[in-house]
Amino acid sequence: MKINFPVVRLLVIKDWQLFQKQLALYVLAGFVALCFIGLGKPWAFYVGSLMLIIVLVASACFSISTSLLVERKDKTLAFAMSLPVSPLDFTAAKLAGNLLTFAVPFVIILGGTVGVVLATPLPDGLVVYSLLVFAWIAFAFAVSLAVAMSVESEGWATFAMIGSMVLINPYLMALGQVPAIQTRIAQDAIVWTPEAVGLLAVLGGLGLLVLAATAWHHARKPAFY
Amino acid sequence: MTPAFSLSGISKRYPHFALQDISLSLPEGQVMGLVGVNGAGKTTLLRLLTGLAAPDAGEVRVLGHRLPEGQVAAKRDIGFASEDMRLYRTQSLRWHMDLVRRAFPGWDDDYAANLMQRFDLRADQPLEGFSHGQRVKALLLLCLARRPRLLLLDEPTTGLDPVARIEVLEALADVLRDERRSVLFSSHNTHDVEQLADAITFVHQGRLVASDDRHAFVDRWRRLLCQGAPPEGLSGWPEIASVRTSGSLVELKVRQWRDDLPERLAASGLQVQREEAMALEDIFITAVRSGAVA
Repeated sequence: MKINFPVVRLLVIKDWQLFQKQLALYVLAGFVALCFIGLGKPWAFYVGSLMLIIVLVASACFSISTSLLVERKDKTLAFAMSLPVSPLDFTAAKLAGNLLTFAVPFVIILGGTVGVVLATPLPDGLVVYSLLVFAWIAFAFAVSLAVAMSVESEGWATFAMIGSMVLINPYLMALGQVPAIQTRIAQDAIVWTPEAVGLLAVLGGLGLLVLAATAWHHARKPAFY
Repeated sequence: MTPAFSLSGISKRYPHFALQDISLSLPEGQVMGLVGVNGAGKTTLLRLLTGLAAPDAGEVRVLGHRLPEGQVAAKRDIGFASEDMRLYRTQSLRWHMDLVRRAFPGWDDDYAANLMQRFDLRADQPLEGFSHGQRVKALLLLCLARRPRLLLLDEPTTGLDPVARIEVLEALADVLRDERRSVLFSSHNTHDVEQLADAITFVHQGRLVASDDRHAFVDRWRRLLCQGAPPEGLSGWPEIASVRTSGSLVELKVRQWRDDLPERLAASGLQVQREEAMALEDIFITAVRSGAVA
């Protein structure tokens, strides 16, 4: 079976048009969080970084829940499937659409974060730490997306989303226990230790693996039901 | 001539429901009404015909394409709307029309404008402001304006008020004037089916109970009011679908009417007092209760 790219593009544009206003609001909220971080005061840094994590988690969950879970619940999925699409086209469109709606605010906020850290008196060592935090959210998004695409149950999909995102807490604690990462945060230089690079590679690789396995599983389905 | 669709020996099993051994076809240009109670298997049958579901056994061919493999090509010529299908409520009808226009090259703008006027729909209003009737009409517009060769409608009139129901039925009657367009529509409302369909198929508990030309149904089925004592084993006669006795009056429902039947009944002690045609609803209920299989 071959992918029908014009139809995949049509479905991706459809999802983008449906969610673009909300995504713009997430980007705006992300910039507000970065403004707090950029103030350079301890309380503002705490408020800003907390808000930034909340915005990133919310935008990742929004993308999955609206394009997959709400589409099932609102019964608009039947309309989308009545278009000339195969299960493979639909899977490709859902993967690409979700990655796009997640990646656009994610990359903008990531760029903003790096910019704020480098442009303000904040220590440049925070860049590596920030990237590790962003990497976890991207990994949690990949796992949540894979589960939401693979199960019919809204409960399990929600559990995967909340579970993987909440795990950022112990993840941050664990980062604090790795001296090669923890001691570099306060330095005014970007230092790529093997531990930091390894962690980024593991999270990135696992995320891609999960998405590839999901795509492969769905590509083999001859029909939707 | 290639049939609009053909199902041969189809079975489809779900954990709590199974469609069993369905063989059915629709000649091009015909309108078939699919009648069955809720949960009879109508939606599963329509899903098989759109390629959304794959059969466990048997073959599905639609407009010359084998499904589900050829579902993309087949769906380009299919208009499918189901009672549980919804449009995106934050978006307008115009947004939906743009989306469908880009997916279906045969989209007819003039016809869409005509239908919009006829159904009194506002193109720029978000769907969340539409009533149920307006949403059904919007869905129908999106199906019809793509000029499909095969129209598959799952319970198109369910939940509509009488005015909206008549408007939808009239629009469908117009569509049916096109002799090349084939239509399969499911309903548990036999009156709608009687109005539109050339052929009628009854499904019950995942099985095909009966399928025939509408006139053949009406010609074949009869209700007889008789006087006398029913002979032993009357309900076992192959042409008799049901026997009900009330005092000396006997009501027979006949699934296979023949002119010599009154004579044979008289020879067995039953005098036919009245013979009348049966309404489709009565035929359906009797066929389901008697367990007749096509």
